Amino acid sequence: MTSVRAIRHPTSAAPSAPAVVVGGDGHQRSLAGALEIATLVTAEEALTKWSRPGTSRTLDVAGVDSLDTPGALFLCGLRDQGVKLTGVKPEHKVLLELICGLDLKPLPKVEAVARWRQLVIQLGKGAHDARHEALDIITFLGRAASWTVNSLLHPACLRPAAISRHIAETGIHALPIIGLMAVMIAVVIGYQGVAQLRPFGGEDFTINLVAVSVLREMGVLITAIMVAGRSGSAFTAEIGVMKTREEVDALQVMGIEPMQVLVVPRVIALVITLPLLTFFADIMGLIGGAAISQFLLDVSPMQYLTRLPYVVDGSDLFVGLFKAPIFAFFIAVTGCMHGLRVSGSAESVGRETTRAVVKSIFLVLVLDAFFSILFEKLGV
Amino acid sequence: MTARTKAHAEPILSARGIVNRFGKQVVHDKLSLDIMRGEVIGIAGGSGSGKSVLLKTLVGLHLPNAGEVLLNGKPVQAISATEKAALIGVLFQQGALFSSLSVAQNIMLPMREHTALATGEQEQIAAMKLALAGLPADSGVKFPAALSGGMVKRAAFARALALDPKILFLDEPTSDLDPIAASGIDALIRQLNESLGITVVIVTHDLTTLFTVCGRIAVLVDRKVTVDTADKLLQSDHPWIHEFFHGPRAEGAMKARKRNHGN
Repeated sequence: MTSVRAIRHPTSAAPSAPAVVVGGDGHQRSLAGALEIATLVTAEEALTKWSRPGTSRTLDVAGVDSLDTPGALFLCGLRDQGVKLTGVKPEHKVLLELICGLDLKPLPKVEAVARWRQLVIQLGKGAHDARHEALDIITFLGRAASWTVNSLLHPACLRPAAISRHIAETGIHALPIIGLMAVMIAVVIGYQGVAQLRPFGGEDFTINLVAVSVLREMGVLITAIMVAGRSGSAFTAEIGVMKTREEVDALQVMGIEPMQVLVVPRVIALVITLPLLTFFADIMGLIGGAAISQFLLDVSPMQYLTRLPYVVDGSDLFVGLFKAPIFAFFIAVTGCMHGLRVSGSAESVGRETTRAVVKSIFLVLVLDAFFSILFEKLGV
Repeated sequence: MTARTKAHAEPILSARGIVNRFGKQVVHDKLSLDIMRGEVIGIAGGSGSGKSVLLKTLVGLHLPNAGEVLLNGKPVQAISATEKAALIGVLFQQGALFSSLSVAQNIMLPMREHTALATGEQEQIAAMKLALAGLPADSGVKFPAALSGGMVKRAAFARALALDPKILFLDEPTSDLDPIAASGIDALIRQLNESLGITVVIVTHDLTTLFTVCGRIAVLVDRKVTVDTADKLLQSDHPWIHEFFHGPRAEGAMKARKRNHGN
């Protein structure tokens, strides 16, 4: 039992813990020991009720051997209530004079707003922000697009070193994780397909299901979501930290347009990378489909390969790859936009990064739904 | 005279045989330094001479490659977190105020962690620390992003003083400040040392601060420290120390020193 108690109160076991002793009674009381931040609570409990204003009381502090600023503040409070302090040591007198001489005002209270009003305010703010947000993103998309096209028309302005660095970071380093995810998603779809189609005796169509859904939707979607989480957030954080360290301002002062050096290389790099990554994800997804066919349907990889051309055609691959650069543009622009929106604090970098990821994934899904409808109407 | 000259003879903090290496570069080579109770000591040195590393070593944030730091006679690594918080206060160069907390909450954070005081009490004490650091009470509810450079330093000062530490470490307390704000900080350091008896360790290049506030100066040269009073260091024949204290920028600081000692 004792050992448990010792663990619970590790500080109480300290041998030389400072203590304050309150003595005397009636109008005359005394303090001795250490009147410090750690012992203040004890002194306060004993003396706060005792020191009613308007009565003459004396407190002898000759026994106090150490006094810190909170202790001095407490004594000043007592003195303001009419308590006479006697026996103040000379070394404590300086401190007491300093603290009592301070022009102390209580911290201003932060005004509390009623709950229902807060709700109304937040609603209004939300609507206002949403409108601004939409305008902002449209403006920024336009600016980014015009700068990108402008750079492509004047290739001398392009920064090949920056572009290739971003291609390596967003593309090559993402290969293992995207490959793994594509295989996994093919396996998941394959299992569901076999389970749902077997009662109808159509489990062989699982091959069609996996191949078509990977090529048309899953390959590009998984890749875009992964890239938004991996690279979109990195864009925001990189540019955001540059913003907090005034590097973006430095660029502007030097007459270098931040859009040109920060946004355009990232946009171009991602527009190049994402289709390539999507193609890689498609291949890996089809390999996942081959594995599923082997284990669940007893279709050998060679048979699977010969069947593939009959179940998918060029348009399936094209539909998936067509969407990739568009998603890439939106992911890169959203990431950069939020990076440039960072203001001052570290907290703001985190907030903008979260927003960038959420918004780019949201945009990717909205666009994907839009393309689904479009391609259905076009009959592609 | 003043408290800063009658420093007690016993060291509150002593560094023994400190060696700090980064790769092949040796920053400190068997450096030893004693800091006496109640004194104001300045640590000076050129850029890259390892002032900040020394400060980090002294407060236990950086583990040296060899040697030890004794705080109140105990190795600094062996002191518990609560005890250390009550002993050491640090003013970081950029203030290091937590940007998600208001200034008053920044000051109250160590009190909330390490004492049993009620929130009302903590607020009172925070208001007192703000006034002590020379800030108006209404700056307590502001967030660090809304403060000017001088106010950030003062707010960081107030937070460093939150638990009434025995030693206050100041990393470049007057850098980035205008001369008026810098003299204000100098006066504040003197006042805290004289009235609270706090030992103050200042890392600075500011010659005015070194000459007018510090009782002793530790100069970091050749990976070691030379510790002496300003008067003795002025007569030193080490080329770097001579250059440091007799360069063109030292003249104004010398005048300030004479003025300060005159009254």
